[in-house]
Amino acid sequence: MAEENIIELRNVTKRFEDDGSIAVKDMNLAVRRGEFVTFLGPSGCGKTTTLRMIAGFDTPTSGSILLNGRDITALPPNKRPINTVFQRYALFPHLNIYDNIAFGLKLKKLPEDEIREKVTRVLEMVDMAGFEKRNTQTLSGGQQQRVAIARAIVNEPEVLLLDEPLGALDLKLRMGMQRELMRIKKEVNITFIYVTHDQGEALTMSDRIIVMNKGIIQQEGDPVSIYDEPQNAFVADFIGESNIIDGIMLKDCLVRIQGIDVECVDTGFEPNEKVDVVIRPEDLVVTELGAGFTDGLVTEVTYEGAYYDIRVQAADYEWHLQSNVSAMPGTRVGISILPENIQIMHKPRSSDEEILKKD
Amino acid sequence: MDRNRRRQLLALPYVAWSILFTLIPLFVILRYAMVDKEGHFTVSYIFAFLSSVNAKAFLISLEIAVICTVICVLLAYPLVMVVRRLKISRMSFMLFFLIMPMWMNFILRMLALQMILSSNGILNMLLGFLGFPPLQIANTNTAVIIGVVYDYLPFMMLPIFNTISDIGEDVLEAARDLGAGPFTVFRRVILPMSLPGLKSGITIVFVPSMTSFVIADILGGGKIQLIGNIIEQEFTRSSNWNLGSGLSVSLMLFMLISMTFTIKDEILTKRPAEEISEEEKAEPRVVGDGVSRRTVL
Repeated sequence: MAEENIIELRNVTKRFEDDGSIAVKDMNLAVRRGEFVTFLGPSGCGKTTTLRMIAGFDTPTSGSILLNGRDITALPPNKRPINTVFQRYALFPHLNIYDNIAFGLKLKKLPEDEIREKVTRVLEMVDMAGFEKRNTQTLSGGQQQRVAIARAIVNEPEVLLLDEPLGALDLKLRMGMQRELMRIKKEVNITFIYVTHDQGEALTMSDRIIVMNKGIIQQEGDPVSIYDEPQNAFVADFIGESNIIDGIMLKDCLVRIQGIDVECVDTGFEPNEKVDVVIRPEDLVVTELGAGFTDGLVTEVTYEGAYYDIRVQAADYEWHLQSNVSAMPGTRVGISILPENIQIMHKPRSSDEEILKKD
Repeated sequence: MDRNRRRQLLALPYVAWSILFTLIPLFVILRYAMVDKEGHFTVSYIFAFLSSVNAKAFLISLEIAVICTVICVLLAYPLVMVVRRLKISRMSFMLFFLIMPMWMNFILRMLALQMILSSNGILNMLLGFLGFPPLQIANTNTAVIIGVVYDYLPFMMLPIFNTISDIGEDVLEAARDLGAGPFTVFRRVILPMSLPGLKSGITIVFVPSMTSFVIADILGGGKIQLIGNIIEQEFTRSSNWNLGSGLSVSLMLFMLISMTFTIKDEILTKRPAEEISEEEKAEPRVVGDGVSRRTVL
C-alpha cells in the first residue's frame, strides 16, 4: 500500500509566523498515484496553504510531507519533481510562449531538439499549436492558462498542483477548460492535486474530494458520496444548497422537525439526540395542502431556467425547494419528502466543526 | 479627432519652453562649434577632442563614468533585492532613507565628502584611531568615483526598484517551481525583467557622470581633468567659446551614439510585439477574465 501513495502528509500543521494563525491543523492525507484529488473549501480554509507546502513554497511548522515514501519536507521547490499551475498563470512576460514552456526543460539541460519536440507536442495537447513565437501579453486569459498548464506538464512531473487555475476565467470558458483538464489528465496520466472553492468544479473533475474548513479535513470521499452523504452540516451546506434545520432523533428512523415527526432511514443515534437535519432543495416536493409532512406559505418563486426556485415559510423556518413545477406566491402548499432523502447528522462537537452560517 | 487635437494644445507650454531653453541654445552652441573667432567655417573645434590633452580627459571621463555606472549597478541590485522583500512600512522608510541625501544641497554634500576624505579628514582619523595607516583618497580618481556614486546611486536604484517591485511573487515562484535555484531565478527572470529599469538607470547615471565637472573640481582638488572640466574652463577662464562648444558637440555626439545601443535594443524588441497585436485584432479574442495585461516593454 505504501508505495502506491505518491504524496503523504503526516500530522502536518502550518502556523503563520506573522500573526500566529493556524492555517492547517494536524493534517493526515494520502494521495494515490494517478489520482485526481481536489481540496475544496471556502477561502481561508487552508487548501492553498496545503498545496503550497506540497509544492515547497511554504514549510510545515510541524509534521512531514512524503513523496513516494521519501521525506521531502525540507526540499526546496526547485528540487521537487512537482510542478504547479498558478491561479494568475504567472507566465514569464519577458519570454515568448516557446521559451515559457521550455523554461524547465532548459534548466534540465536537455538537448535543444528534444526540447523543441516536447514543446511542440505539449502545445498540440493544450490546443495551442503554432503559438510558439507569440508574446504572453497578446493571449487571452484562457490561452494564458493553457500555456501555464503546458509549461508545467511538459516537465512530466510526478504530481501536478493546480491552484484554482480556472478562477480567473469566465463561466463558459471555465466549463470548457474543465473538460479539457480531464482530457489532459487522461493523456499524461500524472497525479493531479487541485484546489478550488467551486464545488461544481470539484464534483465534475475529481476522483476524490477533500473538503476542508478552518485547516481541518471535514470529509473526504468520491464526489457522489460527498454530495449524497455529507458527514456534517458544514459539508452539506458547502456542497450544493441545503436546508439545514434542528431536529430531535426520537428513535431509529424517526426524527422530529419543528414538532412534526418525520420518517427517515437513519439509525444509530441516541434516543432524543439533538441533530442537524439536512435536506437538499431538489428533494423537496410541492404537494397539495396537508399531503406533505408540513404546510407553508409560498413566499417567493424564481425561475432559474432548469427549475423553479421556491421559498416556503412554514412555522419559523423558510424551506428552500427546487422544483420543475411552479407554485403561486401567496398560496399555501404542502411539502413532502421521501424518507431516504433526509440526512441526519450529529451536532458538531467542537468549535472546529462549526457550521458555516450563511447570512 | 478634434478633441485629440485640442488636447495636444496642452503640450504647448512645454514646447515653448524647450524651444527657448533647449533648442535655441543648442543651435547657438552648434554655430559656435563650427566657426572660428573670425566667423569662418571650420570643423577643427569639433575634432579638437583628438588632441592629446583633450583625448586624455575624454578617456578618463569615460573610464570614471563606466566604473561609476558599474559600481552603482552592483550596489543597487542587492539593495533592491533586500528592499523588495520588506514589509510596506519598512520599505517606504528604506526608500525615504535612500532618497533623503538628495534633499540636501548638492555642493554641500560634495564639500562634506571632501571633509571626510581629505588626508587629515574624518575617514583617516577613524582609520588612525583603529590603528590603520591613512589613505590618500582626496584629489584622486577614487575620490571622484566615490562622489559620483554617492550622488547618483539613488537614480540607479529607483528605476531598478520600480521594475523589480512590479514582478509578481507568483512569477518568481513559478521559476523556482520549474527548477530554478535562487541564482537562476535572478539571472533568468529578475534580471531580464528589470532590464527596462536597468537601462534607464544606466542612462541617468552614465550621461551625467561622464559630463560632470563640479564633483571633479571639489573632490579632485583641480588635479583631475575630466572633459567636463576642460569645457568649463574654455568657457570661464580661457574665454574660448568656440573650442568649448566644439568639445561639447563632440561629447554630445559620443553620448548619442553610446545611448543608441540601448534605444536600438528597444526598437528591436518592440517590433515583433506590434506585428502580433495587428494579427490579434483580426481574431476574435476571448476577453473578460479581468486580468490586466500590462505591456512590459
